[in-house]
Amino acid sequence: MKKVITGDHAVAIGAKLSRVDVVPAFPITPQTLIIEHIADFVNDGEMDAKFLTMESEHSVMSAAAAAEAAGARVFTATSSQGLAFMHEMVYATAPLRLPVVMANANRTLGGPPGIWCEYNDSMGVRDSGWLQVYVEDNQEALDMVIQAYRIAEDNRVLLPVMPCLDGFVLTHTVEPVEIPEQDDVDSFLPPYEPDVMLDPARPAMIGAFMPAEYIMELRRQSAGAMESAKEVINEINDNFAKRFGRDYGGLIDTYRMDDAEAALVTMGTVTSTSRQVVDELRQDGKKVGLIKLRFFRPFPSEELKNALKDISAIGVVDRSLSFIGGGQAFNETRSALYGLNIPIINHLAGLGGRDVTETQIRKMFELTLRAAKGEKVKPVNWHNTRGETV
Amino acid sequence: MRIKDLPDENLFVCGHTACPGCGVALSIRNAIRILGKDTSVYVPASCAVVFGSTYPYGAWKVPFFHTAFENTGACLAGMQAAFEKKGKKVISVGFAGDGGTYDIGLQSMSGAAERNDDVIYICVDNEAYMNTGIQRSGGTPFGAWTTTTPVGSKIQGNRTFKKNLGEIVAAHDIPYYATLSIGHPLDFIKKVEKAKSIKGFRFLHMFTPCVPGWKIDPAKTIAVTKLAVESGMWTLYEVENGEKKITHKPGKMKSVKEYLIMQGRFRHMSPEDIKKLQGWVCRKWNLHYKEKGAPEICEIELPEEHHAVTEEHREMHGP
Amino acid sequence: MFELRFHGRGGQGAVMAAQTIAEAAVIEGNYAVAFPFFGAERRGAPVLAFARIDSKKIFSKTQVYTPDCEVVLDDSLLDTIDVVSGLKPDGIVVINSKDKPEDIDLGKEIRTGAVDATSVALEILKAPITNTAILGALVKATGIVKIESIEEAIKRRFGEKLGAKVGERNALAARTAYDRTVVGKSKGIKKLETKKQWLPSYQEIPLGGVLVESRTEAGLIGPGSFIENKVFGWATFRPVRDKEKCTMCLLCWFYCPEGTIVRISDRGDLMTNYDYCKGCGICANECPVDAITMVRGKT
Repeated sequence: MKKVITGDHAVAIGAKLSRVDVVPAFPITPQTLIIEHIADFVNDGEMDAKFLTMESEHSVMSAAAAAEAAGARVFTATSSQGLAFMHEMVYATAPLRLPVVMANANRTLGGPPGIWCEYNDSMGVRDSGWLQVYVEDNQEALDMVIQAYRIAEDNRVLLPVMPCLDGFVLTHTVEPVEIPEQDDVDSFLPPYEPDVMLDPARPAMIGAFMPAEYIMELRRQSAGAMESAKEVINEINDNFAKRFGRDYGGLIDTYRMDDAEAALVTMGTVTSTSRQVVDELRQDGKKVGLIKLRFFRPFPSEELKNALKDISAIGVVDRSLSFIGGGQAFNETRSALYGLNIPIINHLAGLGGRDVTETQIRKMFELTLRAAKGEKVKPVNWHNTRGETV
Repeated sequence: MRIKDLPDENLFVCGHTACPGCGVALSIRNAIRILGKDTSVYVPASCAVVFGSTYPYGAWKVPFFHTAFENTGACLAGMQAAFEKKGKKVISVGFAGDGGTYDIGLQSMSGAAERNDDVIYICVDNEAYMNTGIQRSGGTPFGAWTTTTPVGSKIQGNRTFKKNLGEIVAAHDIPYYATLSIGHPLDFIKKVEKAKSIKGFRFLHMFTPCVPGWKIDPAKTIAVTKLAVESGMWTLYEVENGEKKITHKPGKMKSVKEYLIMQGRFRHMSPEDIKKLQGWVCRKWNLHYKEKGAPEICEIELPEEHHAVTEEHREMHGP
Repeated sequence: MFELRFHGRGGQGAVMAAQTIAEAAVIEGNYAVAFPFFGAERRGAPVLAFARIDSKKIFSKTQVYTPDCEVVLDDSLLDTIDVVSGLKPDGIVVINSKDKPEDIDLGKEIRTGAVDATSVALEILKAPITNTAILGALVKATGIVKIESIEEAIKRRFGEKLGAKVGERNALAARTAYDRTVVGKSKGIKKLETKKQWLPSYQEIPLGGVLVESRTEAGLIGPGSFIENKVFGWATFRPVRDKEKCTMCLLCWFYCPEGTIVRISDRGDLMTNYDYCKGCGICANECPVDAITMVRGKT
């Protein structure tokens, strides 16, 4: 069935179809529609979940961790300041291997306060042990919530997953979304039956005070799980594609990369707009292509290397700033491509929710193409920023 | 249940690493054996996490969970929601300290209380942050020495009075709030049993002396507790569905001085400060017992200085 | 460089002792550092502290693994900890013990200085806090600093915090212990079996470290496993019950923070399992018929 719905609505339907047990919630713009829709589902009897109205995001993630530890499948959603407020608990969840799924509506993390899209909220927890996937449209938002549970609860992974969707650009935009049938989702996503949990019949000790003799091994274990997640993500992507007919490419997606000389690496909705720009530029005979960086954790280093090894120049688009020059995606991509002698430049755009337009994206391709021809281009380019020239 | 009817099985086993004479260990051990094994426990950051579960060892024979400091109410809510959803009959019980309840965990506790989550919240109140080495909390009484309310030449000890947590909790209109003392076993047992039998948010507020933090002789843990009740520094009562009832009224009110003199944390107190504290206690006494007649304040002799335990504490708790 | 390792129990002041020897060395114009093992143990539980002394700045920031001198504030630790492990061959042990060095079995014949620091502390400080007394013994046995320097260091560190009188009294405890210390050679008979530790590889450690009760080669782990942690060594005094006087009111059974008083004989009698008694004395203090007395030493 097709419905014309917002990204937030799509995410809420994804959670419903995943038959989650517990949803602790706290409102924050632009995530609010997600929890409002879930509250509707629960109160209308369409969804059999415990909906907990918590008094803060910190308590949301605390309740989520505890419910998960007690054997429940848990969903929640947050954004920006809310994610920052639960920071401690985000870090508590992953090492304990509690596979919570939490959508993050990407929004600028103040101050100064703003409510529009920027990635500096989720980038702040990129090293918490959570998986992060950035989606480009509402269909992908819905599908990735369902896939997230399969990935998170896989024994090779057992880590929490954060599907990230652009604040307002997706959360509050309606577009047609194909709603999967519950039966299909049920056969794709089995019920969650964790091996060890808070169960008086077989008491477990979860989160004991841990001396240095053990934490290092635990960290190594998490690193291994994150590494295994790569294989699981691709596998589940293929399974999902077979069953539902929608293939997202797994860790990364590529667009018109055959014979491309210059490529942009993009995340989230910028990818969507860029697809259109690529088509236009291709019509003009420009050899450009696109890499969609879907998963930021685990970071698809090998996949990027393979996809980009024959390219002449790379431009990485970032919607948040890391204070070592350029954004996180730029720095991590450059690190992943170490050893390949390809010019790589950074395009910073859309911070604080400033619109990332086709004009800007065309400029990004133009600069990257110049780099491909061996011209000297600035390594970090601030687009549509007063006082900066690109 | 009388004492002799209590189950023999230790659900919080011997060999835990609490200090000798620990009031918290004593409270936990007795509370959990009354609550029984169909219980799941959350403990926020506190001594109880360390002495009850230092990896890979644990004292709990029931499920144990810990993540952070300020989230007992929320974790209990999440845990209980999962049990309910899965159709399991398990009591979710939290053991939080005074810091984890009066201060950093107040908001989360309030959320659980106001939602009337079906859980038991136990506050083991030893009147300071003991796990970090005796720092002042909202539960620290007036005059008390802590490492953040030191006895200086200009300012001596804690200058504020103990927060009235009971009123705050009871104001949430919960089914059950009770204060408990480990020095009053029958009252203690009765209240834990009652909490167990009621549905909704239940709050058990336990007075639990800390040997190093209060600078008391470990053998005096119970004696100090009894004196706290007899002097009016701690009152045994319960609030059931909004109705307050005194469960134990001491005979004649004892001077607060008798209580203070037993504890190193109060030994520096000036006669003026003692008077001030006695005034506060008298008000409390009259409020609780609805009568006048607290004793006149006597002067206290200042004791000679003693081998302070500040450094010992550094040692036990790290820098 | 001269390296020291201190073994004590929480509350005995091992860290303060390490800091004080460092201060004494600095008073003499040397460079010194002192630091605890950053643990989270409780009063009575084993504690480690370290010190290094040198004529020039010390850069090492690691723990001490091969000390020149091992200071033992509590000889009950010898039952569970191999205190001489890593001690340099020409190293020395300084120990709080009622016994003479030749009667102390360290599992190795080694130069040893012994003093009954607990008695010194009880006599002079009226509390079994042995850290200043043991410093006197340390100075006598090693000569690493002069006794006057340690007295000065004690007065500074204790005096500043607790008043000049306390400082002087603790300095006196050091001097008294210094005078009473006997240096000799220890026995080397026993073979100490140190408790095995469960040290899983990252592949072996359960996911998230989550544990259910399990038996490993190193003993029980997970829920309830503290039962294998014998804590009798924490106690200075132990309760002895007079069965004749006991009325079986069970208050001691209720009040014991350890749960080490158990009902036996079909609930008709009580028994104290001393393996878990930390000697707090609550039972003796609360017994309504004074049937329990606290006795010093092992039962």
